Amino acid sequence: MPMFHRYGRILPLFFVLLAALPLLARGQVDSGNEIPEVTRTYALINARVVQAPGRVLERTTVIVRDGLITAVGTDVTVPFDAERIEADSLTIYAGFIDALSHAGIPAPKEQPRPERPDNPGFPPDAEAGILPGRDVRSLLEADHKSIKDLRQTGFTAAHVVPRGRMLPGMGAIILLSDGSVNEMVYTGETSLFAQLASARRMYPGTDMAVIAKMRQLFRESERRSRLEKLYADNPAGMLRPQYDPTHYALFPVLEADRPVFFHTEDALDIHRVLSLHQELGFSLVLTGANQSFAVTEKLAAAGIPVMLTLDLPEDKRDKKKDKEGEDDEAEADTTAAAPATDTAGELPEVTEKPAHDPNLRVKDSTDLEAEKKNLEARRDAQRQRYLTNAGMLAKNGLTLGFTTLDTKAADALPNIRTMVENGLSQDDALAALTTNPAQVLGVSAAMGTVEAGKLGNMVVADGNIFDKESKIRYVFVDGRKYEVEVKKEGASDSTAAAAVAGTWTYTVKTPEGEISGTLTIDEDLSGTISMDVMPEALDIENASFEDGVLTFSFDVGGTEIVTVTVTVEGDEFEGEATTSDGPVPLSGSREPETNL
Amino acid sequence: MKHALVIIVVALAAVCPPAQAQNTTPRGDVLVRGGTLLTVTGGTLEDTDVLIRDGRIQEIGPGIEAPDGIKVIDAKGQYVMPGILDAHSHIAISNVNESSAPVTAQVSVGDVLNPYSISLYRALAGGVTTSHVMHGSANVIGGQNETIKHRWGITDPEGLRMAGAPRTIKFALGENPTRVHGRGTNMRPASRMGVEYVLRETFSKAVRYQESWARYEEEARRNSRAVPPPYNGQLEVMADILSGDIIVNCHSYRADEILMLMRVLEDFGVDRVTFQHVNEGFKIAPELAAFGSSGAAASIFADWWAYKFEVYYSTAYNAAILTRNGVLTSINSDSGELNRHLYHEAAKSQKYGSLTDDEALALVTINPARQLGIEDRVGSIEVGKDGDLAIFDKHPLSIYAVPQKTIVDGITYFDIDRDADDMRLAVDPEASIDTVILHDHSDHHRCLHVGSLDLYGLLDSE
Repeated sequence: MPMFHRYGRILPLFFVLLAALPLLARGQVDSGNEIPEVTRTYALINARVVQAPGRVLERTTVIVRDGLITAVGTDVTVPFDAERIEADSLTIYAGFIDALSHAGIPAPKEQPRPERPDNPGFPPDAEAGILPGRDVRSLLEADHKSIKDLRQTGFTAAHVVPRGRMLPGMGAIILLSDGSVNEMVYTGETSLFAQLASARRMYPGTDMAVIAKMRQLFRESERRSRLEKLYADNPAGMLRPQYDPTHYALFPVLEADRPVFFHTEDALDIHRVLSLHQELGFSLVLTGANQSFAVTEKLAAAGIPVMLTLDLPEDKRDKKKDKEGEDDEAEADTTAAAPATDTAGELPEVTEKPAHDPNLRVKDSTDLEAEKKNLEARRDAQRQRYLTNAGMLAKNGLTLGFTTLDTKAADALPNIRTMVENGLSQDDALAALTTNPAQVLGVSAAMGTVEAGKLGNMVVADGNIFDKESKIRYVFVDGRKYEVEVKKEGASDSTAAAAVAGTWTYTVKTPEGEISGTLTIDEDLSGTISMDVMPEALDIENASFEDGVLTFSFDVGGTEIVTVTVTVEGDEFEGEATTSDGPVPLSGSREPETNL
Repeated sequence: MKHALVIIVVALAAVCPPAQAQNTTPRGDVLVRGGTLLTVTGGTLEDTDVLIRDGRIQEIGPGIEAPDGIKVIDAKGQYVMPGILDAHSHIAISNVNESSAPVTAQVSVGDVLNPYSISLYRALAGGVTTSHVMHGSANVIGGQNETIKHRWGITDPEGLRMAGAPRTIKFALGENPTRVHGRGTNMRPASRMGVEYVLRETFSKAVRYQESWARYEEEARRNSRAVPPPYNGQLEVMADILSGDIIVNCHSYRADEILMLMRVLEDFGVDRVTFQHVNEGFKIAPELAAFGSSGAAASIFADWWAYKFEVYYSTAYNAAILTRNGVLTSINSDSGELNRHLYHEAAKSQKYGSLTDDEALALVTINPARQLGIEDRVGSIEVGKDGDLAIFDKHPLSIYAVPQKTIVDGITYFDIDRDADDMRLAVDPEASIDTVILHDHSDHHRCLHVGSLDLYGLLDSE
């Protein structure tokens, strides 16, 4: 497929254009010709309202009007123009706030091997990932799918930060509506985002260099800020201090006017960031922190808020055994359903998992099974520490919030429920989703509770949101109502391959225009791909379909293999096709089946 | 350079949270009873006790009365030596090389210590209690190193640091920096001459940097509006070398290059240097001994060479020749495996060069301690020093010696009788655990199977 390949050569230009797109889009002003909304007034009548953690009102009506919550009470007049929602079986919570997120920020299509600068020891700041003055608002894409995904799980606002390396830029708080970028932005320049992420093939190329660079930047900024003050005080006879975007962007951070949201991945990261914090004195909010269970005391002593990752380790226990376990549980449940009084005080028999023995020494190498069991027990106990982490942090008095930065949106709520099952109280969980991030982000006056005067950000569920069975019905963002599509029971259980089988038309966006074609996939994941620039269809290879992601490759001759990765949602897919020159966006839809 | 720091500290004082309480590392009490003490600096003492209180050696002598409730280790028939020091190591750090530039003095491996690294425990199992953890050798002037103690089980990286140990930095000559930079990125240094140029240029910059700060400080005394010069973290460190606050540790093999660095250091008034590897040190031992006020030190391999062109000219007699010529010499591992038998490495100096027991043991104890400037704390068994001991069943210079217990600050971190199968501090919660099948379960292939007398499956009663 020579055409396909050749387009790859001018990809860099394409990316420049792509990067400019959101700028162009933002320049547009509402034409005034849009169809007006029927109403922006809603009345949720007779709901259970969890106003704030621990504050529950029964049979209460909530009025949302023109973006704001205007009334919460039992004795509320429903305005004539309100859309009435009979909510007597529903529970209303304040909209969730994602304390750190990349929602709405498209992933940059990074070149697999970036050009090494002429002098890799002193690269330009931007190439080294040092962009403390970059404003995330310039990177937002209003219709990016991640915004809807996050909203569907109950999040109504997010503290978004740019993607990047060491200092990707400044964060902003956005409302997860479907408005324009300008409508979505609540406030900007809220934070400096930082990570121990080294540059590739240039300085700072290691974590230790990132730390050294951080010191250099802060100390030199401190000096320049001092010069600025001296000059502002009296410029006479003084060499004019020279502006530079990197150091100047750090001035508010030095004054502790702008907190640093520092993202960490493991316990070592946390220790290193705490040391930097202590040394350089910035105002710190720790994010990610998935191994904070190993550093809890130090964090509590330093009084650092933790915006914990919503990612949890996968359960690696033997699938087969697990199933047996589930069966056991099911049986136990049935017994429990029998008159409980008769068996009071008698616990259902549980097959004890072997506890980890830290002192185990097997007799010799024939005793492998004992060693394996012990290693498994240790691994599972270790996983448990992640599950109980949130509850422990809250119990230790840390200000806890959540970040979806390393988490698939669909995993967020299930993982919070897992944390609740493992010791996080429901009030603490709700606080971590609402009032705590609002406080850390300085927006408590406008968000975080269901109170008159606050923004119309709410989650409405058909029960206790921390129950596995409950479903989110509506999400209100900025006073707009979004209905959450409830997936049909069992829809996800249909065999994976069947969900992608069919004939799809797709489009690849290349700089010189679009290439279209047809992809045909059978239930056994074999298939062919054709292209309007190619005479014949090619076989697809190495196809897999897991968690809604379809991956396959095809050989276009020569040495060129094109790899396609798309996320399938119903009859649509979206993703990218990657050649040796990098990825290009690809999207497609399934052709309706024709019944002959 | 303290002056620059003062400004920063003063400026940040307003926003800085109060410094956390000085990290207190755990210290223990123990009485090691009746062993043969190889004190290294005070000869061999038969049937002698060592009492460690609060992490320090309080008393050495026969028949010490055990204080109430103290842990007693019976070392009768065993050999007790000072905890072994590894003068060149890369264990327990997350990064080794910041190879992006020929000079990266501003980085420090001390910022990326990894107390979870199992290498620490393995080193303890070889009697090693202290490691000089070094930056790599890709750069002419690499990063700063860190001297750590093997306090296994502490997960706060600060707990590994040997507080008060002098700062040290890594330099490198020869093939590594010229390969990584010269040929790798087409930058200086591309040749051995270029290495000298980079050294002299960087030291010259540091001299000017010191001068500019001195001028500023001078002016700041008269003028409250004096303008400080730009802060440069790299030149801060270089200036600290010039001031004698940082000991240079230089990766080097060839005699001509070693002489070159000694000339450069003399020109810039730098008095303390330890050459690392120094395979050709035997050629210039008198010159090394004559350097500066107290000689240049050498930290070498016992018998490891020929892994690259510049290390073909080597000899196992290096340790003995250097020692006999009055060069302060240590033997190091530079390896997470070799560090577990440094006592064997030291013993090789007896086979090749007939060093005495004390001279051989000094190569991995008091000599590296002197090179690192921590000889008042570790490296020998003396009253007042840290309670760091390694206990062996045989004389540690014997090939049959097996480490039994290793003690740091009075705490037993390795005990061969309590050496569980899985000593890791943390595990991956998502690891898949596979059974490693070492042999067919039908028991037909058990020959050479250690730990079972049933070599041929004859006793299998199943």
